[in-house]
This record gives sequence, C-alpha cells and structure tokens, in this order.
Amino acid sequence: MSSRPADLLIARAVRRGGPWLAALTATALLGAAADLMLPAALGRAVDAVVRIQARDGAGPEAGSGLTGPLTTAALLVALVVACDALGVLAAGVSGARAAQWLRSRVVAHTLSVGAGMTRHFTAGEIVTRAGVNVEEAGRTPEAVVTAATLIIPAAGSVVALALIDPWLAVTLVAGLLLIVAVLRAFMRRTTAASGGYQQAQGEIAAMLVGALAGARTITAAGTEDLEAARVLAPLPRLRAHGLALWRLQARAGVQAAVVIPLLEIAVLAVGGLRLSAGGLTVGELLAAARYVVLGAGLGSALGYAARIARARSAALRLEQLFAVPPPAYGDRPLPPGPGTLELRDVTVRADGVRLLSGVSLVVPGGTCTAVVGRSGSGKSSLAAVAGRLVDPERGTVLLDGVPLREIGHEPLRRAVGYAFERPALFGDTLGEAVAFGLAARDDAGKRSEDTVRSVDAARSEDAVRAAAGAARADAFIRRLPLGYATPAGEAPMSGGEIQRVGLARAFAQAGRLLILDDAMSSLDTVTERQVGRALTGSLSDRTRLVVAHRVTTAAQADQVVWLDNGRVRATGTHERLWDDPGYRAVFRAEEAS
Amino acid sequence: MKRRAPAGGRPGAAAGRVVVRALRREPSRLLRLACWSVAETLPALSGGYAIARAVDDGFAAGRPGAGLMWLAVLAVAWAVAAVAARQVLLLIAGIVEPFRDDLLRRVVTGALRAGRGGDSAAVARMNHQVELARDAFGAIITAVRTFVFTVAGVAAGLTTLAPEVVPLVLTPVALGLGLFLLSLPALARRQREFIVADERTAAAVAAMAGGLRDVTACGGEARVAASVGREVSRQARAARALARVTASRTLSLAVGAWLPVVLLLAGAPWLVRQGVTGGVILGSLTYVMQSLSPALGGLVQGLGVSGVRLAVTLERILHAPGPPVPHGDREPGGVRLELRGVRFAYGTPGRKAPEPVIDGLDLDVPEGDHLAVVGPSGIGKSTLAALVAGLLTPDDGEVLVGGVPAARVHPAARALIPQEAYVFPATLADNLTYLAPGTPPERVDEAVAAFGLAELAQRTAGGPLDPAELSAGERQLVALARTYLSPARLVVLDEATCHLDPAAEARAEAAFAARGGTVIVVAHRISSALRARRVLVMDGTRVLLGTHEEMAASSPLYADLVGHWEGPGRLPAGAVAQDADVTADGGPQPAALGGDLDRLDA
Repeated sequence: MSSRPADLLIARAVRRGGPWLAALTATALLGAAADLMLPAALGRAVDAVVRIQARDGAGPEAGSGLTGPLTTAALLVALVVACDALGVLAAGVSGARAAQWLRSRVVAHTLSVGAGMTRHFTAGEIVTRAGVNVEEAGRTPEAVVTAATLIIPAAGSVVALALIDPWLAVTLVAGLLLIVAVLRAFMRRTTAASGGYQQAQGEIAAMLVGALAGARTITAAGTEDLEAARVLAPLPRLRAHGLALWRLQARAGVQAAVVIPLLEIAVLAVGGLRLSAGGLTVGELLAAARYVVLGAGLGSALGYAARIARARSAALRLEQLFAVPPPAYGDRPLPPGPGTLELRDVTVRADGVRLLSGVSLVVPGGTCTAVVGRSGSGKSSLAAVAGRLVDPERGTVLLDGVPLREIGHEPLRRAVGYAFERPALFGDTLGEAVAFGLAARDDAGKRSEDTVRSVDAARSEDAVRAAAGAARADAFIRRLPLGYATPAGEAPMSGGEIQRVGLARAFAQAGRLLILDDAMSSLDTVTERQVGRALTGSLSDRTRLVVAHRVTTAAQADQVVWLDNGRVRATGTHERLWDDPGYRAVFRAEEAS
Repeated sequence: MKRRAPAGGRPGAAAGRVVVRALRREPSRLLRLACWSVAETLPALSGGYAIARAVDDGFAAGRPGAGLMWLAVLAVAWAVAAVAARQVLLLIAGIVEPFRDDLLRRVVTGALRAGRGGDSAAVARMNHQVELARDAFGAIITAVRTFVFTVAGVAAGLTTLAPEVVPLVLTPVALGLGLFLLSLPALARRQREFIVADERTAAAVAAMAGGLRDVTACGGEARVAASVGREVSRQARAARALARVTASRTLSLAVGAWLPVVLLLAGAPWLVRQGVTGGVILGSLTYVMQSLSPALGGLVQGLGVSGVRLAVTLERILHAPGPPVPHGDREPGGVRLELRGVRFAYGTPGRKAPEPVIDGLDLDVPEGDHLAVVGPSGIGKSTLAALVAGLLTPDDGEVLVGGVPAARVHPAARALIPQEAYVFPATLADNLTYLAPGTPPERVDEAVAAFGLAELAQRTAGGPLDPAELSAGERQLVALARTYLSPARLVVLDEATCHLDPAAEARAEAAFAARGGTVIVVAHRISSALRARRVLVMDGTRVLLGTHEEMAASSPLYADLVGHWEGPGRLPAGAVAQDADVTADGGPQPAALGGDLDRLDA
C-alpha cells in the first residue's frame, strides 16, 4: 500500500493546528539558529573581557568595549528562551488539535461502519488506532520540527568545529559513532533481560487473575495470605531480572556518559595547545567546548527520524480503518404493517467462508419463529442479516415488503430490536442502558419544549419499566443501591442479569420485529419460562425471531427453521420436526456442549 | 533526599508513607548513596576550576604542559565520576526494586483480601501501574539527587574559584527553583487531569469498540459518538492546558539556567575590576552551562512529570482494592445456625438499595441438618450463603453459628463452596489438602475415590494441575473433595455442583451427608431438594421451610418445579430429561412446558 494517503491524512490533521503549526516552525528554526550562534557570541563576549583586561588592567573605563558583544549574547539568550517556551506551547497545542481531529474521525467512522467493522478489526485494534496511533500521527509536525531543530545545531556544530580545527570535528564524529555502538549493544542485551522480567511479571499477573476467580473460596476459607504468598512466589526472580536490567543500564549509561566529557577534554587539549601557539583565543576555546556538546546532540536527532517513520506508519494504520466503507441507509419510511420478515435467497460470506447459502424464508407478522441448528450452522448470521446488522452478499431481506437497505436509519432501528447472548450496555445508568434502543429525545437537535420533553421522559420511563418487567430485570434492578439510577459500571451483575437488561432493552426498542440471538442462555429455568411467557403474552404483537438451543424454546414457537451448514434443512412446527432423528440430535449436541 | 513526590490535588497521605518507607528502609544505603554522589559530582566541582587554571596558568600563560596537566586532572575526575555514577545507579536500584516489590505485594494482598473477584482484568492492569510507579520513583530520586549534589558541588567550586561570582550564579538558580516550585501545584493538577482524561477516553473508546454490534442494533450511533466525543474533547482540552503550563515551566527553567549566564556577562566589567580573569569567567560559564542547567532541567522534568505520575499511580494502587474482608477468630460452640430477623440490602452504608434482598428472615438449622435452598436466580440464595459464611454482615438482625456472629467465627469452622470452583496450579494433593494441611495420604485417596477424581489423579500423575485444562466439572469435584477433607462442620454448597452430571452430583451430596456436620445446599437441580432433610423455598416475597412433602403442598413455586421434574408434560418422548434445572443452563432440560408461572408473581 502506498504511503501517499497516509501523508495526505497527516497533512490534513496538521492543518487543524492552524496558526500554531506556523508558530512551531518559526520558533523552532529561529531557536535553532540562536542556539547555533550563542556559543560564538559568548566566546566573543569573553574575548572582549580578556582584551579589556589585557589593555588597561582594571581601569575605570573597563566596560567600554564590552557593550556590543554582551548585548548580542544577552539577546540571543532571550531569543533561545522565548523560542523554547513558545515552541513547547505550539507543539503541545497543535499536537492536541491534530489528535482531537483524528480521534473524532476514528470514532465517527467506526460508529458509522458499526457492527461490520469487527470483521476487519478487533476491538483491541480499534482502541490502539484511536489511542497510540492517533497520538503518534498527531505528533508528526512536532517530530519533524524537533528533528530539524536538533539536526541544524548539531550538524552546524560539526561544521563550526571543523572551521576551528578539522581534527576536532573528526574526533567528535568518531566519538559519536562510539556512543551509537554502545547504545546498540545495550538495546540487544536489554531485550534479552527484559524478556525474563516480563515473563516473571506475566506469571504473577496470571496467578493473581486465577486466584481472583476463586475469590469467594479464598475469602470464605480465610486463606488470603497463603494465596498472596503463592501468587508472589516469582517475586525474587522478578527482582533478580530487574537488578540485571539496572546493571546493564548502569554499564551502558556510564560508557555513554564518559565519552562526551572525554571528547570535550580532548577538544580543549588540542584547542589549548593552539591557544598557547596563539592560533586560538580563549573565547574560541569556549566556543569549541560548547560545540562539542551541541554536536553530541546528533545522536538524539537520529532518534527523531525513527519517530517520523513511526508517525507515518501510524497514519497508514488509521487510513486502513477509514478505508472500510460504512453501510448506506435508505430514506424510505416503513409502511404500516404487522412486521412480516422475508428473506429471499440470502447468502452471507465472511473471510471467504459461506455462513449462509441461499436462505429463503418468511416469518409472518406477529408470529414467533425459532432458529435451531448445531453451532456453526449459521444461526447468528441469520439473526444478523434479519435486522441489518450486516448486509448479505447476495439476496434481499424485506420488512413489511420494504428491502432493509432502503429503509431510513431511524425507522429501521426503531422497528427492529435485538437481544444478544452477551449484550454490551451503553448509557450512564441502568435506566439509560435499557432505554438505549428508544429514539433519542433530542435527536437531530430538535429542541422541544420543556413540558413536551418531560412528557416524553415520563413515557420513556414507563416503557423502560414495562420492558424491564417483561425481561424479569425490574426486581433485581430495584434492589441495587440506586435502583434504575445505578451507574451501569457499578452494578455487580451476573451473566444472567446482564442478559435480562439486554432483553429489556430489546423489548423497549422493538417496534415490530424482535430478534433474540441466544439471549436467554444464562437465565435459570424459572426466569427463562417467565420471560418466555412475556414473549407469548405482552410481546406477542411483535414478530419474533429467536435463536435457541433449548427444546422448550423451539416447542413454544409457531414455526421452527432448522439450519444445517448455512442452509435451511427444514421448516415446520417443532412437533412435526421432532420425528426426524437428525432434528432431535441437534438438541442433544447443543446440550452436551 | 527525603523529598516526597508532590501529590497533585488531594495529597494521598498513604502514598507519602509508602514513599518515605521505601527511602528509610536502609539508612546505610542512603549514606553510601550520598558518598558516591559526592564522587559523582567531582567534575561539577572541579570542572570550571580546572579549566580556568588550564587556561590562565597553562595555555594562556604560555605553559601548555601545565594546561594539559589540569585537563588530565579533569579527565581523572570524569573517570572517577563514571565509576561513581554506576554505583549510584545500582544503589538507586536497591531502593527502587524493593519499592516495586512492596507495591506489588500490596496490590496482590489488597485484591485478595478485598475478596470480590470483580473486574480481575482491572487488577491485572495494576501490574502496569506498579511498573509506572517504579520508573517514576527511580526518575525522581535520580533528578533530586543530581540537582542537590550538583548545586552543592558548583557552589563549592565557584567559591574556590572566585567568591564574587557565587551570588551572580546562585541567586537566579534559587529564583528559578522558587518559580518552578510555585508553579508545581498547577502543573501537577494539569498533568493529573491529562492522565485521567487520557484514561477515560481510552475506556470510552474501548467500550464503544467492544459494543459496536449493540450500537448498530440500537441505532445509537449518534448518542455514542456524542458521549465518546465529549471525552475526546475533554482530553484535548487537558492536553492544551498541559501545554500551556509546560511552556510557563520552561520560563522558570530559563530563569534558573540562563539568567546566571547573562548576569555573568553583564557583570563582567565589574568582575574584571575585582581582578577576575577571563579564564575565571570561562570557568564560571562552564559550571553554569555544563552542570547547573542540565541538573535543573532534570529536576524540573523529574518533579513535574515523574512526580505527578508517581502520585497518580500510587493513589490508584493504594485505593483500588477496597477494604479487606475481616476475619473472625472465635471458635463457636457447635455449628447450630440461627438467623434472627435478618435483613440485607446491597450498597454501602448510607447508600443502601431501597429494596432489600433478604428481609426479616428467621431460620434455625440444628447441627447435623441437611438443608436445600430452592428459588429462581437473583432471589437472594447466594446472599444467604454469603451471610452464613460470614462474607456479608446483615444490616439488621443476626446470623449466629454456634452462638457466635457468623462474621466473627473462625474461618476453619465452616466452609463455602461457590459455583466458580477454585483450582490453583499445584498438585492435586496440594489442592485437596488446601484447607487441611497435613491430611494423611490415605484420607486424600479416600476423598479422591469418593468424588470420582481417580481418573484426574491418574492423568496428572502427581504433577501440577493446569486449572485451564480441567473441565468445569472436574474443577468442581476438586473443590468439593477439598471441602470434604476440611475440618469445617458447617458446609455451604452454593450451586457447587452445577457443572456435574446428576449422578456425580448425587454422589457428592451423599458423601457430604455421610461425612456428618451440617450441610446447606443451594440447589441447582430440584433433585438436591429431594435428597435434603428439609427444604427452604425463596420465591421473592416470602421464605418457606419444611420437608419436601410439606413444600410441595404449601409452595406453588416448589410444586411447579417438582411438577416439572415429575411429569412428562406435552413434549414428545425423547426430549424428556431425567432431571430439571432449577437455576442455570448446561444441564438437562425441564421436561414440561405447562404450569401457571404467573403464580410466582403473587
């Protein structure tokens, strides 16, 4: 893949920095120039002092020839400081703006692609892109400018040194190569030592996670300290590896740290000899010593080249994410209807594997259809296309005669409600989590009157309570410290309780089609049958498509779709299908797993 | 050297104590650190002086030999300093590594003592926090130490060289340091806000990325975009604010590092009149630019960035786990269990749920009883088990074991086996004797046979178990056999057999019944109730206690459940399982579908 889109993306992000980018560049270049000129100016000032001293000792007119060089040096110092402070500010602000723009784009694009994004990127990959990658790409201008500001004085110093004495420059470059070699060797040995360190760390973390899984056993038995000792058993090894790392660092650090002073001493020695011979002034000697220090910065400038490369590859990774096209929604409303769902010759494929092949079926409005089949037979894929979580590769899905692709976003999502095996809850409180599938009250910026809003709020609150009651979530939510206002993250919920909140959300949302994808697997039998009664009672006006593993669910449905290897093997009532030994085997296999 | 991390915002006193303890652990180490630090500052001490002499007495005076000699002295000083730097680093390692060990120990024991599994991934992330704290602590020690010794060294060197110069150099350094310390609280606040905003954004994005399917299904794209967008903007604001204070920090650094240079030059005419030579001014400039500026920069960075990082991470580490579950140490007189008017609601004191899980519960379980607890999930059965085990204390009323409040009973007197069986990576024998160390091998073999663990024992052949490789059922068998061997006379099985097949479950319960003592079984299948002497039915509104027959007659819920277990219903033959699940999935299914479940709502 060409890196041109990545560069374009960086350029667009950088423009978000506005005038700050110009400020960054200007301060950086100006500061670098001042940095480079300062040693020379200081040298000239010192020389002026020495000249005065030599000319008239400590006479009353001593200061007369000093003003010029002193002012120059002072002005340069002021310039260096000002550029430094402004540069820090400009880099920080422009980087923050670029990162904000990139991050908002990643979030917006990921959301608009929606469920389909997980086919291309795992959740962890999306988080990395919105986090580290955005930061790296956003800091590109800073990296470029900093590299320049380091390279200019460093390279300039080598030149300046060469002008004073070519051999000094040669000595400096040789010394720098030595430092680089030392650091390289350090990196290699560090990787080996830190491997052992991370290993010990990982063992402790894994054992802690294991012990926490048995927290109730441990607390009940009062064996916390015994467990702590067991988990921390690798600690001595961790410390040994840690100290080994420190020793390596100490050696490399000392080697690197002693090189620059020795280089400087060498330069001073050579320069001193030239001073004795009259070929160099005291001020030039000072300048030479400073240039050695500046020139040694060349090593870190090279480090910034690596950062620029990283920033470009980060931008490339962002561009890959932006390349996934979002699904287009239509603009048709749904005509009045009972919620009849129809699949015509639907084929779904992911990563070249056929999940559904030519599935056709009709779920009459207001009826309940169970989808059964062994795991991997395509049940979840069928549930996903039925409410347009994904688009089929071929074929059409229609709701009350309208192809799903042509229905507008709002009408479609208010008509279809989904409940999953492991629902992810959104919203600050449990009440909001249940109401998440309802139309947002302030959607599209329509600011209604306060009174209307409160009527809306009351209506949605009623809907939430009713749905939670039908999903058997109401009772346990009311027993939480803040009831429906309990923050979702603070509620200690079991898998079955989370499923019930997910069911409530779907019940509140579904205007005409309710799709349950294995959404009752963690419910106990009593609760499952209570929810089952709600499905056949208060929710019986919705069309229901239920992916099920249990015999009971299939037996309660008006019709059963039996999937096998992505195809419909048979359709009919549970009683009729039960005569087929293959059908019966589906449930035995499901229950054994 | 005792400088503590600047705690941003609310200073964590606990964090301060941890840091002070780490520094005080080995006073002799601090002394050695000070000695080597002096050796390390030798170049800072002698650098300017040696250069001044080399120029004035050597090169500029036409005596290059003397000049080279002074430079050789400087080279030796640098070599000594290099050796000292190595020692210093190792001594700092000796402070930082135990500090890390201490933090890790706190994380582990804190999490284990807090007793709730909770978000174990969050606890695992603590590992990362510990590493951050360790690095930050090392960086702070290094920066503060370097600065203190460099300033002392430079002051001593300048005094020897030319006392007139000392105020010109040290006054601005003190001024810059003061400015920096004044700006430190604001800087710390911004830095901490940025860290927090950064983490919140990451968490919001992670929640979004993990729930994309749900967002699409609910049509909640705009709402999630708005809520994540708020975090993103907040983070960007925090980053800009941080950039502003960092820029102003650069200014205080400039005062300390560059003002001495300007003052030295501006004061040069006056200094020259005082008889100060060009070489001395050169030497003074070397002191400032070579030693003082880097040390001040390091201090500003060390305190301003690492210090805040340390304060934030320490606060996290020390406050994360929550209070430990206290343990009793009283030996009860027998294990007769009495509950008197017990009420329990979730939440912390002052923020209790309006509706309790258990309310006004009275229960008497004589020693040696075998009680089954039946009811739908979430009705409070596990809460009851936790109250009996002393893991929770009632809001009202009392839970007595042998006359002693349950929370104050010695843990060895009673045992709780939860649904999630705990097996740790050690041998099977170690796992089984966990609650009864020193159990004779024949007793262990007996338990292995009684719970059908012979196959597992053979497979592992005395080697360590890998918990991940055991099936859920095998893990439960290990936990059951372990409790079987324990000295506990009151055993609570909280759905501890849910992954076993009915036969293995029956065998396990029979073994406990034969073992003696009191057995309370939170039933997973209705068959557990049939094996029990008495049954406790919890249906959400009231609690009923009696024999199986009494319950079948008086509790509609129980009758319903038993009915499902007994009657074949309208399902075709073949779907009929031997047993009915009362609680979770995974086992055989209920055989019938009928029954008026609305009765449960009564």
